[in-house]
Amino acid sequence: MSNPFLSVRDLTVDFHTEDGVVHAVDGLSFDVEKGTTLGIVGESGSGKSVTNLTVLGLHNPETTKISGEIRLDGEELIGAPRSTMERLRGNKVAMIFQDPLTALSPYHTIGRQIGEVYRKHTGASRGESRKRAIEMLTRVGIPQPKTRVDDYPHQFSGGMRQRAMIAMALVCDPDLLIADEPTTALDVTVQAQILDLLKDLQEQMGTSIILITHDLGVVASTVHNVLVMYAGRAVERGTVTEVLGEPRHPYTWGLLASMPHLTSSVDMPLKPVRGTPPSLINVPPGCPFHPRCDYMDLVGGEVCKGERPELSPHRGHGDACYLTLAQKREIHK
Amino acid sequence: MTVRTRSAVAALAIGALALTSACAEGNQGGPATSGGQSGGSSAPAEAYKPASITVGTAEDSKGPAIPPEGVVKGGTVTMIDRNDFAHLDPAQIYVNTEANFNLLIARSLTGYKRVAKGDYKLVGDLATDTGTPSDGGKTWTFTLKDGVKWQDGTPITSEDVKWSMERTFAPFVTQGPAYIQQWLTDVDYKKAYKGPYDGKRLSSIETPDDKTIVYKFTSPHADANYALAMGGYAIVPKAKDTKEKYDKEPFSSGPYIITSHVVDKTVDLERNPHWDPATDPIRGAYPDKWHLEFGLEPLQVTDRLLADSGADQKTFTFYSSTPPERLQQVLDDASLASRRMSSPSPYGNYYYFNLSRMKDAKIRQAVNHAWPSKQIQQVMGGPAAAALPTTILNENTTVGYQPYDLFGKTTKPEGDIEKAKALLKESSDPTPTIVYAYNQTPVQERVTVVIKNALEKAGIKVVAKALDRKTYYDSIGMVKNEFDLYWAGWGSDWPSGSTVLPVIFGPVADGTPNYSHLKDPALTAEMDKITAMTDIEAANAAWMALDKKIQETITPLVVAENRIATMLHGSKVGGAEIDPQQWIVQPNTIFVKP
Amino acid sequence: MIRFITRRTLGAAVTLVIIAAVTFFLFFAVPADPARLACGKVCPPELLEQARHNLGLDQPLFAQFLAWLTGIFTGRDYEGLGRCPAPCLGFSFVNRAPVWETILDRLPLTVSLTIGAATVFFTFGVATGVVAALRQGRPLDKIASVSSLIGASVQIYFAGTLALYYLVYKNHILRQPKYVPFTEDPVGWLSGLALPWVVLAIIFTANYTRMTRSTMVEQLGEDYVRTARAKGMPGRSVVMRFALRGTMIPIVTIFGVDLGTLIGGAIITEQTFGLQGLGQLSIRAVTNSDLPMLMATVLVAAGAIVVFNIIVDVMYAVIDPRVRLS
Repeated sequence: MSNPFLSVRDLTVDFHTEDGVVHAVDGLSFDVEKGTTLGIVGESGSGKSVTNLTVLGLHNPETTKISGEIRLDGEELIGAPRSTMERLRGNKVAMIFQDPLTALSPYHTIGRQIGEVYRKHTGASRGESRKRAIEMLTRVGIPQPKTRVDDYPHQFSGGMRQRAMIAMALVCDPDLLIADEPTTALDVTVQAQILDLLKDLQEQMGTSIILITHDLGVVASTVHNVLVMYAGRAVERGTVTEVLGEPRHPYTWGLLASMPHLTSSVDMPLKPVRGTPPSLINVPPGCPFHPRCDYMDLVGGEVCKGERPELSPHRGHGDACYLTLAQKREIHK
Repeated sequence: MTVRTRSAVAALAIGALALTSACAEGNQGGPATSGGQSGGSSAPAEAYKPASITVGTAEDSKGPAIPPEGVVKGGTVTMIDRNDFAHLDPAQIYVNTEANFNLLIARSLTGYKRVAKGDYKLVGDLATDTGTPSDGGKTWTFTLKDGVKWQDGTPITSEDVKWSMERTFAPFVTQGPAYIQQWLTDVDYKKAYKGPYDGKRLSSIETPDDKTIVYKFTSPHADANYALAMGGYAIVPKAKDTKEKYDKEPFSSGPYIITSHVVDKTVDLERNPHWDPATDPIRGAYPDKWHLEFGLEPLQVTDRLLADSGADQKTFTFYSSTPPERLQQVLDDASLASRRMSSPSPYGNYYYFNLSRMKDAKIRQAVNHAWPSKQIQQVMGGPAAAALPTTILNENTTVGYQPYDLFGKTTKPEGDIEKAKALLKESSDPTPTIVYAYNQTPVQERVTVVIKNALEKAGIKVVAKALDRKTYYDSIGMVKNEFDLYWAGWGSDWPSGSTVLPVIFGPVADGTPNYSHLKDPALTAEMDKITAMTDIEAANAAWMALDKKIQETITPLVVAENRIATMLHGSKVGGAEIDPQQWIVQPNTIFVKP
Repeated sequence: MIRFITRRTLGAAVTLVIIAAVTFFLFFAVPADPARLACGKVCPPELLEQARHNLGLDQPLFAQFLAWLTGIFTGRDYEGLGRCPAPCLGFSFVNRAPVWETILDRLPLTVSLTIGAATVFFTFGVATGVVAALRQGRPLDKIASVSSLIGASVQIYFAGTLALYYLVYKNHILRQPKYVPFTEDPVGWLSGLALPWVVLAIIFTANYTRMTRSTMVEQLGEDYVRTARAKGMPGRSVVMRFALRGTMIPIVTIFGVDLGTLIGGAIITEQTFGLQGLGQLSIRAVTNSDLPMLMATVLVAAGAIVVFNIIVDVMYAVIDPRVRLS
C-alpha cells in the first residue's frame, strides 16, 4: 500500500489535572488508508475520543502535553500553528460528535451552521453557501431541505440532527471524517440509517473515516479495520474479519462476550468484563489489563505485571498480550 | 397666651442645621460629633459674646441698609443646601430657612437690622418705625413708608397689609405663626374668622388711610412689634393673591424676583426694579443675581466650600453646617479662618423632669449638681461643637439676658458628686432610681452612658429607656408617661422669654410642650402678669428673673448642652454671617467679590 | 410575539396596581402623620384636622386610593390648586407641586445616569469576564477576579466621596458632577456625569465580570462550541458568536434587573454626587411622609423593573430561538 492518509506514531497525551497527571494516550500508533474506515473500539475512558480530538488539535493547550507524530496527508500536525489547524478543520478533516443536540449550536439555524463552514473554507458568498447547505441537506436525506434549512436544531428530530451534523461535516468534501460515537444517542433504526448514510457517502466521495464506538455491532457492519484500545493503548489491531473473527486479546474477548449476538441462545448470560477500567492517573504497571485478566496464570503473573507487552506483529493482525498464539487460539474457540 | 404646640417640623431637618426659627428641634444628627476628645482645642480662643438686640428708632428704620465692610455690588452669588423651601407663601412660613429666604422677596412691617457683628436692632421695614402702642398696649399703629412698591410698581398699601393678615385665617393656611391672629380674635382664631375670601373682613384691623394700619388686640401685647417681624407675617398683595397657588407664585415686595424655580432643584433670582434701597434699612441686596441649588448633603457642601475652587468661590450655604467627619479638619485649618463661621444654637434644650413622678425638689437639684455636662460636651465633639448654658432662656434670643449659674456648671462642669450626695441625704430618698428616656440615635446612646455613669456615682440609679426616633415626641408628650427624665427643645419666636416660659410651663395636656408637667398657680399668675406688662424692658427683665426663680425654687429641668454650628463660605463671598437669632446665614449682607 | 407582549403588559399593569395599593395602605400603617408636617409648629387639633382635609387625608382610605388611581387616567381637580391633567399622580404634600412634573423633571438625569453607568459596567464587566474566562487560572484572570471582588465590596458613598475629594475638589481633574441635558450640550452631559458613571460602574462591574467568567467557562466547554472549533471557525468567532451568545442569557437577566433598579433611582449615588434624580425624590418622599410623591416614585421604580422584565423576556427570545418557538 501507498502512504496512509493519516499516520499516527507513538502518540502520547498527558493532561494535568488537580488530581494528578492523566495518561490519556500512551504510545499509540495507527494508520488510516484513503477511502477506508477505521473503527476504534474501547470502553469509556480508554482514550479513543482524546486521540481524535488531538488529531484535530481540539485539546486544551494549557493543560495537555502531547508527543509523537500525527501526519495528515504527509503534513505534521503536532505543533502546527493555529492557522494551519483552522484551515484543516472542517475542510480536510471533519468531525461528527456523539450527541447532535448539544453539538449543534441552539442559537443558529441549521443552514447557517452548515453554510458558515463552507464560507470559511471556500470564501463563498452567503447565497452560495446557503445553496450549498440546501444541497448538503438534500444529500443527507433531509426532506424539504429548502425550508428546513432555516430551522433551528431543536426543530429537528434526533436522526435529522445527526444527518445535519453529517451534512455540516461533509460540506467541504473532507478527506478524513472522524465520527465519535455518531449513533449512540439515536434509536436503533435511525442508527442503521446513519451508518448506511456514512457508507454511501464514503463510496461516493472516497472519504476516509475513523469511527469511534464502544459497539462492536456497529464495527462489524461498517468498518474495514479495527483498533481496540484499553487504558490509552492499542491492545489489538487488524481487519474487521481478523479482529472479530479471531480475536486474540483477552480484553477483546471480554468485549465480544459482553455483547449480545443474534446467534447466541437467549438464556446464555451476557458476561461483562470483570472489574472496572483502571484510573488513567495510576495505570497499572506491565499489561494494564492484568488486574482484570482471567488468564494471567497461563503466562505466569509476574510477566504480566512486569513489562508492558508491545503490539505484535508490527503489521497486520497484532495484539499486545503475553499469551502464545496457540494459547489464544485454544482459549477462544 | 396659650400656645399648644409640639414639634413635628423637626423631622424635616435631619442632618441639616436647624430648620425652625422657633421650632423645637430634635437632638438627632446635627453637628454633634461622636469623635470624642479635643473638640476645638485648636480653634481660635475667642470668648463668645451673645448678640445684642435693641429696638431702633424711626431714624434707624430709614434705608439704605448699613453696608458690610468692603462691600461690592453686582455679580451672581450661589447658595447650596440640602432642601428647597417648601413654602414661599409667607402665611405658611414658620421654618427659619423659609423665612430667611423670603427676606429676598417679601417684606414685613418690622424686621431686624444688622448694625454691626452681633449687634441688631428691631426697626420698621415697611413701617416708618417699630409702631406706636396705645390703649395700654392693646392698640398698635403703624405707618407705611413712602415709595414702597410691589414688583409691578404698584404701591404697597395698608389694605395689602391688612389683607395679608386676614388671609392667614383661611382654611388652606395650616402653618405659620398664630400669635397676632389669636391676639386679634381668640385662641381658637380659625373659628372666629374664616379669612377674607368670602368678602367678610376683620374689624380688629383698621386702615384709616392707605398708609396707616391699626391693630386692635383683645389684651395688651407690648412685644407686638417683635411678633410682626416673624417671616410668617410678611405681606402678600391683595390684587395678586392666588390663595393656595400663591405658594408657588409669590409676588415680590423685596429686592429680588424669582425668575425660575425647579422644585427641590434650583431657584434663580434677579433684581426687582421697583424695590428702592432707600426704603429698606434691612436688605443690602448687593448681588445682581442669586442662584440657589438644592439636593446637596452637608458633607458635599462642606467639601465643595473647603475646596473653594472655580465657581464655588462665589458660593455659600444658608444652613449646611460642617458635619462631624469634617469638623476637626475645618477647625484645625488656620487658612480657613476668614471663611469660617460658628454660632451656638439659639434654642433652649432641656432635660425635663417629669414632676408627676419626681416630686422631691432636692432629688431634682441633686441631679442638676451631679450632671456630667463636660463629659456630654466631649461626646458631642468638645467645646467647639457644644456650649454649656446655665439658664432656661437662651442667651442669643433673650433681650436683657442675665446669666446665672445655680448648679456650678461653670465651676464644676464635670458635676459635683459630693454636693449631689449631700442633697440626696436631705431628700426623701437618698438612693433614688430614675427612668431616663432618650431618642435612640448613636450620639444619644453615648450621651446616655455618660449620664448613667455620672448619676450612679452620686447614688442615683438610672434606668435607660431607648425610644424610637419617629415616635419619640409622641411618647414623651403623653402626660401619663412612665419616664422621669427626657430631652426636648424649644425655641423662642422673638428674643424674649414671652414665647418660651409660658409655653414650656403652659397648659398640661397630651402633646403640649410642658414636658415637666409643671402646674403652679402662682407661677401661672406671675407669667400672666408679665405678659400683660406694657413696658417691654420691664417685661424682659421680669422674664429673666422668673427664669432663675423657677430653677431655684422648682427645678423642673436640667439645662442641656447647646450645639455650636460651624459653617464655611467661598473665598469670594463677603458679608456672610450666621444670624445668632435665626442660626442661619442671612442674605442681607451677602456680596460677591469680583 | 405580539400576543406574548400584550399578555405581559396586561400582567404588568395589574402588578403595578397591586404594588401601588400595597404602598398606599402600608403608608398609613406607619404612625407618622403627614398632616402633622403640613401643620407647622403651632398645631392644635382643629388645625391638624384642617391640614388633613387640605391634603385629602380625611377621606376614607379606599376612596383616597380609588381617586388616586382614576386620577392617573382621567386627571383630577384639586380645590385651590387647580386641575391636574392625566396622568395625574397628585400634588406633593410638602410643596404642593404637581408630582408628575417633578418626576418628568428628574427622569432625564436618572435615565442618563443609568444608561451611562450601564454602558460602562456592561461593556467593561463582560469584556473582563470574557478575558478572564479565556485566560482561566492565569494572572490576568486572577487580577480580574480580585479587582472585581474589591469593586463589589466598595461602598458608593465611600468611593464617591473619595473620588470627589481627590479628583474634583483637591486636584481639579474632573468637574463637579452636574446634569446637563444631552440635547443641550453632549460634551457637558458626558463630562458632567462621567464620575458618577464610573463610580456606579465600579460596584456593578464585578457582578458582570464574575457572571460572564463563570458562564463563559461553562459555555466554552459546551459541545457546540467544540463543534464550532472542529469546523475550523477562527478562535475569535468561536468566542464572540458561539460562546458569548449563550453567556448573554444570564447576563441579560441581571442586566434587566439592574437597569430596572437604577431607573428607580440610584439613591446613594445621587446623594453622594448631589444629583437630583428619582433616587433623591424617593428618599425625600419617605422622610417627608409625602404620600403622592412616594406613590409616584414607587410606581416609576416598579414600572421600570416590570418593563425591563418584559424586555428581558423578549431578549431571551431574540437570543435563544428555543424560547421563541416553545
